[in-house]
Amino acid sequence: METQPKAKVLIVDDEKGLRLGTKRLLESEGFEVDAAQNGAEGIAFGTSLDYDLAIIDLKMPDINGLEVLKQIHQNHPNTVCFIATAFPSFETATEATKLGAFNYIPKPFTPEELLSNLKQGYDRRILLQEAEKWKKEREESLLEVAFEKTRLNTIINSITDGILVINKYGQAVLFNPSALIFLQLPDIAIEEYIIDKLHPEIAELINKILTNKIFEKKSYSKQIELKSNRELFIEATSSPVPHPDGSLAGVVVVFKNITESKKLEHLKSQFVSMVSHELKAPIAAVYGYLKLLSDPAYNLPNDQKINYINRSQIRLDGLLKMVNDLLDISRMEMKVIQREIKDLNLAEAVTSVIELLQVEIKKKNITLEFQVIDQSNSIKADSDEILRLFTNLISNAIKYNKVGGRIDIKIQNADKYILTTIVDTGIGMKPEEKQKLFHEFFRAKNEHTKNISGTGLGLSIVKRIVDSYAGRIEVESEFEKGTSFKVYLPI
Amino acid sequence: MSDTDIKKTILLVDDDLDLLEQNKFMLESKGYKVVTADNSKKGWDLFKQVKPYAAVIDLIMEEHDAGFILSYKIKKDNHGKNIPVFVLTSATYVTGFKFSASTSEEKEWIKCDGIINKPVVIDELLQKIETYYAAKQK
Repeated sequence: METQPKAKVLIVDDEKGLRLGTKRLLESEGFEVDAAQNGAEGIAFGTSLDYDLAIIDLKMPDINGLEVLKQIHQNHPNTVCFIATAFPSFETATEATKLGAFNYIPKPFTPEELLSNLKQGYDRRILLQEAEKWKKEREESLLEVAFEKTRLNTIINSITDGILVINKYGQAVLFNPSALIFLQLPDIAIEEYIIDKLHPEIAELINKILTNKIFEKKSYSKQIELKSNRELFIEATSSPVPHPDGSLAGVVVVFKNITESKKLEHLKSQFVSMVSHELKAPIAAVYGYLKLLSDPAYNLPNDQKINYINRSQIRLDGLLKMVNDLLDISRMEMKVIQREIKDLNLAEAVTSVIELLQVEIKKKNITLEFQVIDQSNSIKADSDEILRLFTNLISNAIKYNKVGGRIDIKIQNADKYILTTIVDTGIGMKPEEKQKLFHEFFRAKNEHTKNISGTGLGLSIVKRIVDSYAGRIEVESEFEKGTSFKVYLPI
Repeated sequence: MSDTDIKKTILLVDDDLDLLEQNKFMLESKGYKVVTADNSKKGWDLFKQVKPYAAVIDLIMEEHDAGFILSYKIKKDNHGKNIPVFVLTSATYVTGFKFSASTSEEKEWIKCDGIINKPVVIDELLQKIETYYAAKQK
């Protein structure tokens, strides 16, 4: 055995002479040998160590050699075992083979007989070990493939977009739970013909590719309203899936929920149509007056002419203000990224707004009281925006106030906010008017507001500013009594 | 219309006071009597009170369809079903959706005798009113 590494052999025999003789022989031939003097010791050795070879005597006083063989084989199936016996019989030979013995060595044996047997046994041992190695590797790679597959499935199932894969016969081959929601199906059976069950517009997207027969790298998309009133809007995209040989294998459809962006789109177009309507009204009014003024057929008296010119001016003035407000709104939307945030003292900001509005306050003979309860009232904000916010609120409190009325402004700390309260004794609002207060272009229309000009954008701008600072605004109002606004801006 | 005719009263409802003034002025110059209201509620009260010869109602007032609602109410009234009611709108340009009330089916659910686009061309409006009565006489 000079060419091979030292093979480990276990000898189990109760006959001392034979046991030691064999040990010596094998060691001189380059084996590493352990010797057990009875069955129990044999089992102890053979089960604790994975021997290459084992020679087990059949007849031992304590435990039968077959039992020792059985125990060793159970623990180390690749240990190549020999049964040695002086009383060979067909039955024991069969039994030994059944239990996994490699060969049967009749006693007494010559050294040559033993060594030739062991050589065969050792070759067998190497084969077994190699087979085991291959088997293990194969199992490991199978496990890895299975793991990859589960991982991919987990990923696909976690995607919020819906995924449906269909083979070229129109049968479902893969889908994720999100797909079921968008397809509005309780379940899909793999390999069922699915196209009939799909929304006609989705089916059309798939058929566009399937009827093509040849693989062409081209996707089709469509926005589909699954539930009306913009409740569920999806974008479905179908793409062809190729076979490795380049032919068409099937179609993958991806469903994306675009409800939110559709809603936003709708709000935007509503806003645009509202803006157009609001801009058109004053233009139509002025156009009408100009027509009356210029048409000789009407021949207006002078005072009526002057009245019409004045009205035109008022409407154009309002139009100009509205355009300015709209520009402010669009500037504000752009400014989110480029506003100048600085420490700003709210009391100072409000004071400067009040000064700016002094003329109007005096004109209406309004008593204004400004109270700063907490001196530390700095916030981090863009001063232009904060000035705009309070200008809109306080000028409303003046505009909608009665002559000789009151305005009370108070600044105080409120938890993590600075609270500014603006209370007026104006015309107030009806509950249904209060609800629409912050809507663009909403203006309370009643006998009191008829002669007050406004764009309907002031409070919507206020709300935008407050929201952009993660603050909040509350309003209380009683019709014909007055209104109070509470503005909470975070410290 | 000669001076001796009893003046026919037209009800105008519009929340834009200037347009109300202009249309009133132009209709009066054609010899009609005009009563005006600046919201649906006042329009309805005035309608019940004066029982006008015709009514012209702005579509977008306190609500986006306030005009349709008022005209519907008038057309269900005993007097209202016998007079022409027109709804004023510039909605064609705003929404891109063309309102009309030309087929009988549309007239059925819109419940008015026609949609008039702003700005109002007074001669056309008057022609429509008189056509309504001429057709009725047949």
